[in-house]
Amino acid sequence: MKRAALIAAMTAGAALSQNPAFDPEAARAGSKTYAAACAGCHGSTGEGGRGPNLADNRVVRRRTDAELAATILRGVQGSDMPPFPIGEERARQVAAFVRSMSAPAIDSPNPGDPVNGRAVFEGKGGCSGCHAVAGRGGSLGPDLTNAGSSKSYKYLRESLLRPNARIASGFQGVEVTLKDGRKVSGIARNVSNYSIQVTGRDGAIHRLDAGGIREAVYRKTSYMPADYESRLSKPEVDDVLAYLSRQSLRSAE
Amino acid sequence: MRIAIPMLAVAAAFGQTSFEDIKKGPGANWLTYSGDYRATRHSPLAQIDKTNVSRLVPKWTYHMETGRRLETTPLVVDGVMYVTNNNELHALDARDGRRVWSFADEDVPVKKVNRGAAVLGERLFFVTSDAHLIALNRNTGAVLWKKKFADFSKGYSATLAPMALKDSVIVGVSGGDGGIRGYVAAMSPSTGEELWRLYTVPKKGEPGAESWAEFNTEWGGGGTWMSGSYDPDLNLIYWTTGNPWPDYNGPVRRGDNLYTCAVLAIDAATGKMRWYFQFTPHDTHDWDAQSMPVLVDLPYGGKPRKLLLHPNRNGFFYVLDRVTGEYLRATPFVDNLTWTKGIDAKGRPFENPAAEPTTAGVKVCPSIRGASNWMSPSFNPATGLFYVPALEQCEIYMTSKTIPEAGKGFSGGGGDKPPLEPGRFYLRAIDPKTGKRVWEYPMPGPTIAWAGTLSTAGGVVFFGDDDGHLAAVDAATGKHLWHYQMGQQIFASPMTYLVDGKQYVTIASQTDLFTFGLFEPVKPLDPVKESTR
Repeated sequence: MKRAALIAAMTAGAALSQNPAFDPEAARAGSKTYAAACAGCHGSTGEGGRGPNLADNRVVRRRTDAELAATILRGVQGSDMPPFPIGEERARQVAAFVRSMSAPAIDSPNPGDPVNGRAVFEGKGGCSGCHAVAGRGGSLGPDLTNAGSSKSYKYLRESLLRPNARIASGFQGVEVTLKDGRKVSGIARNVSNYSIQVTGRDGAIHRLDAGGIREAVYRKTSYMPADYESRLSKPEVDDVLAYLSRQSLRSAE
Repeated sequence: MRIAIPMLAVAAAFGQTSFEDIKKGPGANWLTYSGDYRATRHSPLAQIDKTNVSRLVPKWTYHMETGRRLETTPLVVDGVMYVTNNNELHALDARDGRRVWSFADEDVPVKKVNRGAAVLGERLFFVTSDAHLIALNRNTGAVLWKKKFADFSKGYSATLAPMALKDSVIVGVSGGDGGIRGYVAAMSPSTGEELWRLYTVPKKGEPGAESWAEFNTEWGGGGTWMSGSYDPDLNLIYWTTGNPWPDYNGPVRRGDNLYTCAVLAIDAATGKMRWYFQFTPHDTHDWDAQSMPVLVDLPYGGKPRKLLLHPNRNGFFYVLDRVTGEYLRATPFVDNLTWTKGIDAKGRPFENPAAEPTTAGVKVCPSIRGASNWMSPSFNPATGLFYVPALEQCEIYMTSKTIPEAGKGFSGGGGDKPPLEPGRFYLRAIDPKTGKRVWEYPMPGPTIAWAGTLSTAGGVVFFGDDDGHLAAVDAATGKHLWHYQMGQQIFASPMTYLVDGKQYVTIASQTDLFTFGLFEPVKPLDPVKESTR
């Protein structure tokens, strides 16, 4: 994807999305029915339980509203999911709410100025020191080239403002001291009792055998600065999120 | 906290895979789909040899959660393994199969199989099912770019491992059974821009178009769905082409249907066709030419020659001069071969109208799957033998009278296995100098495998058999040495690599990647001393 394509993606925004964005009003109405009928199995925030996780769920993303509504009305044969004969209208509203929990940022309302967001991302915010977009930027944090399609708006917002609420899987900081005295620090991409694989600060992959490790010290907190809420203005936060929400591989030509 | 950008410039110095590295062929690393540019799928590694291969044991298994039918061959670069499935690529520690990172493009609207990645510099390249090429940083999995190289909405798709050359990445297209016009394309490794494109079917008015009579060659087929091979000295790419379309409906496309069911020699710099050789003119049996063109230098007719070896779905093992495309010899590598009485002195099969598919059905051998298919053959320079999975099988070929329409999944007919004739796979060793079969190893099984071979300097041929075993036989004699039951069928070809001084052999099964090595006792380990700060 070239810069030009990226910029085109920015201006076209959500118009590029293959799935329709959810209807916020229907989602609000649907949330009430969801809390009463669905949360018991799927969790009040869609985190799952007896039923599958519905938040950030790729299967949900691929379904149309009509398909989701039909699943709610008819249930899923051969599973614990019973039919919910709540009528077309309410089923559609619940479907909209379920979609809102899973919708990627590019398909969600993302107010803000993406052009200014990019300027903040690469400038004042210092984000590109650790995060790359289309090959530009650092490697200590997750690649954000496809952030808008792979993450929900809520997830991006939380990651920006409260990075220690959850550290992205495979991005915990570590400093490993080897038995021969060498030290490797970076991101623990994988940890087991028998080996640790680290993407080093040098950008290379280090495959470390447990037998050769003296000690591994993990960072409790994310490498990501936790002060963006005070470092950036509210509009700047919105702008950065608007920029990231538009980063998508869907627009590749 | 801020991380200074200049540090990243240092990172760029790590893990560079150069064109020269790939040219050297496999050693500790395995840098192309076939290991080398010449598609010999032969490794000089000899730690595992015919005297100790009986002590081969499973070392690790990697479960591909989305795997249903893995057809991939992994790459190994400096102890890191890169393995694909449809629209995803995973980086593993090659010693123990632990995942370092993974990338998945979840927005791709279709999932075909995927056969592997290419590496150049510190970049990995692989295709999505909807025919985009994606470049990733091999250390981090970060996306560098994604570029469309064919239009999925027009029937194109992609399944192949791309081939990275000095300054281009070569790709091809799938979709030849549905009415597309095939092509091979070169993309820039740095930007993904298309550098050249060579169509495998001529447009009206172009040379070769006369071989299609009145047929609309925009639908002519000629898919390019397997990776090719490359001769760096000649700077020629050898790429095979698929069937003409509609597959089984010959009368609507009278003529030879150039350049389908052929091998093309392509100038890597310009994308111009240097020569072509068509194995099956006017194919009506879906005999794509997609077995890898294997490049070897051997004495032939009393003088050293640069040869191209190719076992075709039509049942003949071909030897060509790869400088000129001159036909040298074709010999049957299966016994069940009825579609022609033989090949003439120029390499053209004798015509046999009785082998044309009919509405009632006609029995012809080999079958639609062909005497061999895309599963990799291999060549061992020490034994001088060529190893190929061969399928003895026939088919009742049928044609349809429906008017062909592109993009509707129409292939013009099909086939059925003759009752009580399921066929059988054999691993066969052929001497390219004579075309004669030297040994064979039978494989009882349901004839549903698509598993290829690997040759090593240890004097061993590894291959997936037709019943879910990875097996090893003596390269000189075909004598059984070792086997392991994977619990599922195999649709991939094996590879081998060395990390921390130990040789491993890896093959994908339907859902998992299995890796084997020589037995050694496990040393007790204490859990890693860890703390959090």
